[in-house]
Amino acid sequence: MKSLYEHRFNSVAAVETEFAQAQYIASRQIATSVYLAFNLQKPILVEGPAGVGKTELAKTMAEVLEVPLIRMQCYEGLDESKALYEWKYGKQLLYTQLLKDKLGELMEGAKGLAQSIERLHSHDDLFFSEHFLEPRPLYKALHEEAGCVLLIDEIDKSDQEFEAFLLEVLSDFQVSVPELGTIKATVRPFVFLTSNNTREMSDALKRRCLHLYIPFPDAKLERRILETRVPGLSKSLRNELVAFIQNVRTLELKKQPSVSETIDWAKVLLLLNAEHLNVDMVRDTLNTFLKFEEDIAAADERLVNFVGKAREEGALLHARNP
Amino acid sequence: MQETLEDFFKALRGSDLDVTLTDSIEAGRAIEIVGLADREVLKHALGATLAKSMDERLIFDACFDRFFSFDAFKERPAGGGDGVNTTPFAMEGSGSGAGSGGSGGQRLVDMLMRQDQAGLAKAMKEAARQVGMTDIWFFTQKGLYIQKIQKQMGSEQLDRDLAQLAAQPGQSAQVAALKLARRRLFEEVKDFVEKQLAMYGTAPTKRLHDEYLQAQKLSNIEQRDFQRMHDIVRKIAKRLSVIHSKKKKQEDRGVLDFRKTLRRNVAFDGVMFETYWKTKVIDRPKVIAICDVSGSVRAYAKFLLLFLYSLSELLSKIRSFAFTNTLVDVTATFDGMPVQQAVDKVMKDVGGSGTDYGQMFMDLQAQLMKEIDKKTTVLILGDARNNNGDPQTEVMKLLHQRAKRVIWLNPEPRVFWGLGDSEMKRYLPYCHLAKECNTVKHLERTMDDLLRVSTATA
Ligand SMILES: Nc1ncnc2c1ncn2[C@@H]1O[C@H](COP(=O)(O)OP(=O)(O)OP(=O)(O)O)[C@@H](O)[C@H]1O
Ligand SMILES: [Mg+2]
Repeated sequence: MKSLYEHRFNSVAAVETEFAQAQYIASRQIATSVYLAFNLQKPILVEGPAGVGKTELAKTMAEVLEVPLIRMQCYEGLDESKALYEWKYGKQLLYTQLLKDKLGELMEGAKGLAQSIERLHSHDDLFFSEHFLEPRPLYKALHEEAGCVLLIDEIDKSDQEFEAFLLEVLSDFQVSVPELGTIKATVRPFVFLTSNNTREMSDALKRRCLHLYIPFPDAKLERRILETRVPGLSKSLRNELVAFIQNVRTLELKKQPSVSETIDWAKVLLLLNAEHLNVDMVRDTLNTFLKFEEDIAAADERLVNFVGKAREEGALLHARNP
Repeated sequence: MQETLEDFFKALRGSDLDVTLTDSIEAGRAIEIVGLADREVLKHALGATLAKSMDERLIFDACFDRFFSFDAFKERPAGGGDGVNTTPFAMEGSGSGAGSGGSGGQRLVDMLMRQDQAGLAKAMKEAARQVGMTDIWFFTQKGLYIQKIQKQMGSEQLDRDLAQLAAQPGQSAQVAALKLARRRLFEEVKDFVEKQLAMYGTAPTKRLHDEYLQAQKLSNIEQRDFQRMHDIVRKIAKRLSVIHSKKKKQEDRGVLDFRKTLRRNVAFDGVMFETYWKTKVIDRPKVIAICDVSGSVRAYAKFLLLFLYSLSELLSKIRSFAFTNTLVDVTATFDGMPVQQAVDKVMKDVGGSGTDYGQMFMDLQAQLMKEIDKKTTVLILGDARNNNGDPQTEVMKLLHQRAKRVIWLNPEPRVFWGLGDSEMKRYLPYCHLAKECNTVKHLERTMDDLLRVSTATA
């Protein structure tokens, strides 16, 4: 099997092209970070608002490298063992039941509790072997033969101790497990970590990673994303829609519409088969990209103005590039 | 290249961004991987390597742009070789190949006559290195370095050449042009030194640091210095309000109104029985302040707002507005919140992209014009960059007629006014006072002006 590092990106531009083929439109900034991280074999710590394509970036990387994507969602209380593996207690229990007789034989002649336990212990490793082990994401990631893309999502939600453990894993991709000894990665996974900045990451972790901030896309990038993600949409409507969304993002909102909302909205408008935005149509579909009543009200207030602006922008783009 | 990179690290450290040995090695590797051909890629690659958070990235980007711009001389008409300056490392390579440095290679007078901007920029950079610019410590050394660099570039020879030229008949136009060019050169070197200072200057004591901040262009000050900056502005504000209230006390006591007293006391045979004192009523200024917080002034917006906030603490009759496109009343925010919070809130609520001065003026026309009268001072803070939209100059004209005074503080240096999408030249005729304002010193002076103006003429 081909290891993931046998893949070659010839340049930053090549990353852009290959990602575009996999339907992901990477900005220059994203492409540079990926190119660099791949060549330095360093993890990328990605920050940015919800829905700007952080998860999708990792997925696409896996697709391009033709390796699996393994995702580990962090949460409060996630610890080392849960991230690595769990013992299949049920299976262990079942086996002890099934093997009752055998165990009886084994215990035969043992005098007293201490001696029985002694005897049992000598067979521990039978029950605490890979047969009874439930692999969790990290364990899987280290065992992928051709390597994988490991996405550690929302690292800021985990505890500090876990972060310290992760740091160890990320430095040499090996962990020691009491019952199993040392596990070492066959091929180093390519790692993305995402953070929503609810807490500050430790300096040590940050130093291990390249840092990437993904903002909302500018109009040009967002048009290209729509072009690949909702190809059926007419060019005129696409231009107007993006101009509209970009204007909405200048408002003070509880939740700004992200790329995912732009895509959702585009899909809805596609069904309406329109060539241009109009006020009624937008008003009726505001709730596809705005999730809060207050936000919808705020957008509604500027609706006529924004639709006007969007159509102007559309006309301008058309004039420039019919 | 290694040398340039080292200098860049120094600059980053000067901006309070920690660059460890490991970081510097990583940065070197990053450059090996991405190469130098594409400036943007280089910036992203170094940024991803050296900045560890969003805040640091902002610092990094600003520092990178400053360090690798070398766009001095760029805005002058008739420019030689474009693009020479875009990739600093490459430029350096070709520079050392070209030979003996600015001062030795070409005569300064020739470069100035030919308006060889690229050559001048290169000569200045080389001179700066030769005089050890990266060792600059704090702003008190500024003058020294300006001198040193000019000298290194050959200013003494230039003066001799000029004197010689002036002695010849019929050369007065040439002499005048050359003198002008020499002044510009001085401005460029000064600006360059200031920028360098911002990059390398880490002052050893707090007092020096404060002074340093005061002399800095605001955009060069990093986020972290914000609190300190605020303290300084507050101090200024306090001092000014002390001056202000002192004045008031003196005026309260007033002067004897001799005539009135005489007239009143005729009945007492001129014995001054009842005295009349002139008491001047202090006209508390009525100010409407409007602050641009859009992307193009991003680096300054916080500081303009900070200024505005201090002002609103100082003046009772002030209404404050902020805008990116539509005009937003922020008076209540300023009155109801501590400074940092208020400024952050305004930035968050009002800041954005898509500046529209036209829209702002239309809003002003609709909402405020009727309140503006001969007692109102209108203060506008912004760069007048309108994205080529309709500038609505008529509103400014009307404003100029109605208000007592229209004051415009523009963070951009005067030479940039009217260039590109700046509408400043069109607004200028309708300002009673328009000033470049991008350092605390500027602010201080302006604040003084403003108070003096508003109290003196009532
Ligand atoms: N640059 C892009 N090119 C193509 N599609 C994109 C791009 N950015 C985002 N998308 C689309 O936007 C949607 C949202 O992306 P994704 O789920 O990756 O966001 P996220 O940043 O991980 O959000 P969250 O913080 O909520 O996890 C996806 O469906 C993806 O297809
Ligand atoms: Mg996600």
